[in-house]
Amino acid sequence: MALLELSDVQVFYDKIEALKGISLSVEAGRIATLVGANGAGKSTTLRAVSGLIHPRAGTIRYDGTTLAGRQPHEITAMGLVQVPEGRRIFGRLTVEENLAMGAFTRHDRRGIAEDRERLLQLFPRLRERLRQVAGTLSGGEQQMVATARALMARPSMLLMDEPSMGLAPMLVEQVFETIRTINADGVTILLVEQNALMALSIADHGYVLESGRIVLSGPGRDLLDDERVRHAYLG
Amino acid sequence: MSAVSLALWTVRFLVVALVVAGTIGTILKDRYTTAQWFEFVLFGLTIGSLYAQVALGYTMVYGVLRLINFAHGDIMMCGAFAGYFVATPLENSGFLEVHPVLGMTAILAAGMVVSGVIAVLTERIAYRPFRRVQGFAPLICAFGVSFFLEQTFRGLFGSSVKSYPAPKWEGVEFHWAGLSVPGVDVLVIVLAVAFMAVLYLIVQKTRMGMAMRAVSEDGEAAALMGVDVGKVIVFTFALGGAMAGIAGVFYAFLFKQVYFYMGFTPGIKAFGGAVLGGIGSVPGAMLGGFFLGLVESVGPSLFLDGIGIKAPYELRDVIAYTLMILVLVFRPQGILGEHMAKKRA
Ligand SMILES: Nc1ncnc2c1ncn2[C@@H]1O[C@H](COP(=O)(O)OP(=O)(O)OP(=O)(O)O)[C@@H](O)[C@H]1O
Ligand SMILES: [Mg+2]
Repeated sequence: MALLELSDVQVFYDKIEALKGISLSVEAGRIATLVGANGAGKSTTLRAVSGLIHPRAGTIRYDGTTLAGRQPHEITAMGLVQVPEGRRIFGRLTVEENLAMGAFTRHDRRGIAEDRERLLQLFPRLRERLRQVAGTLSGGEQQMVATARALMARPSMLLMDEPSMGLAPMLVEQVFETIRTINADGVTILLVEQNALMALSIADHGYVLESGRIVLSGPGRDLLDDERVRHAYLG
Repeated sequence: MSAVSLALWTVRFLVVALVVAGTIGTILKDRYTTAQWFEFVLFGLTIGSLYAQVALGYTMVYGVLRLINFAHGDIMMCGAFAGYFVATPLENSGFLEVHPVLGMTAILAAGMVVSGVIAVLTERIAYRPFRRVQGFAPLICAFGVSFFLEQTFRGLFGSSVKSYPAPKWEGVEFHWAGLSVPGVDVLVIVLAVAFMAVLYLIVQKTRMGMAMRAVSEDGEAAALMGVDVGKVIVFTFALGGAMAGIAGVFYAFLFKQVYFYMGFTPGIKAFGGAVLGGIGSVPGAMLGGFFLGLVESVGPSLFLDGIGIKAPYELRDVIAYTLMILVLVFRPQGILGEHMAKKRA
């Protein structure tokens, strides 16, 4: 069953049509990826799903219910959580507080403590820096905070906008490894990436976005072998 | 060196020279006794503690909305009036004389609740429709709210100055090492500091406080974490309003009067304190408020007397505003603030 389903979604910024009617669906438990060049509309798609902007037309359904008219915090409370582009961690809050912010919609103290412990095992670097103000962390560590923060919500689905951006190749490997781990724990993932090679190789299903339109879609492996994708994104 | 920076350095130099020359002159003249200096400092701390309380409202609202709530001084006035309407019957019936603690609690509670509620209402009615509007419209709306509150109170309660009840215990003075310490000053400072400590704990330690700090930094990211930003904004107005209400009651007690326009000057001064401390910073607002109060109280005698100015105390507002302008010119981010440009990086 499709956990997230967009059909014919159109988004405008004033008069600019950023999404020209896109449809995609993500199966529960899978990793889907949305790849495309700068300005293709990848972030816009995720922002529309999270309720940060409202589509002019089309529907977005999550777990069978429409998201139309819902506010971002309500969508997060439904278990559909976004790790935004550029990480957007709270730089003046401590790492600990950032994690607590991630669990903002939850009230099960015990469960929150358990999840925190589990995440600190996944990202041991953060344990040493719990009391540190997050703005002073390195880029890689900030990405860990952003991911851990989102997971603190115990999401059933994670939207990740370019988690590998600005990281050294070795760290990029790590990020993708983490995504696999998270998915193996049962979290459905929609991953937005410019690093098409990496994204398509871990994705069950891929979509290629070009100027606000989905021009290609199919199993990640197939897209990797596709002549047009190779030509446009993989050099 | 460009002409502008040369001019700025000249201004800096002149200000410093004036302050130094004035201070030396005052010390040489030796016109004031230790007791008088003590009085200046104590009054500076007293009035500063009120500026600090009001400054918190400016800084917190700025944090979550990037809006200067220009009506905040008037919200303080509302609290002072509420306190007045509770204090007067309590005083007339003699209750306030016999039960100072209970009486003050009731008066402060009235100020807090009324200011808090009015702050929340202004947000709901006047600011919320502008939340997504860029440019000057929200600020102009804030000016409108300020006039609206002033004129409403003038219409309802007249434009005359009403004298605040002065219970006898208020005149108590402590004597210590040859100095006399007015009881009201101590009461105001101690309670103001206590209330600010509570506010600080709320901001630092509670879930709502943490959400408020998160929204101040990045509202959209906070929303993505499941924070209802609208609720946080209401909470911020309530908290800042309550604080201003307390300050309003104290301010009225100190100057023994209430009138519809009374919020304007302390409002501007408190805003100056918030800017001085770094707008958006909670500890900065407290620090800035105290600092402004001190400079305004000690400054006239310390800097101006020495350079031969006749009635230095009449110029205390000039000192306060000059300080504000100097901060805006030389350190717009304030004492504890960061550059606005950096914030978004
Ligand atoms: N706030 C905005 N106002 C106006 N236009 C915008 C706004 N945000 C995005 N756009 C435009 O919408 C289009 C899609 O932008 P979007 O951010 O979704 O691209 P993207 O695929 O995420 O790109 P990148 O890989 O650079 O992050 C671009 O042409 C962009 O200029
Ligand atoms: Mg993007």
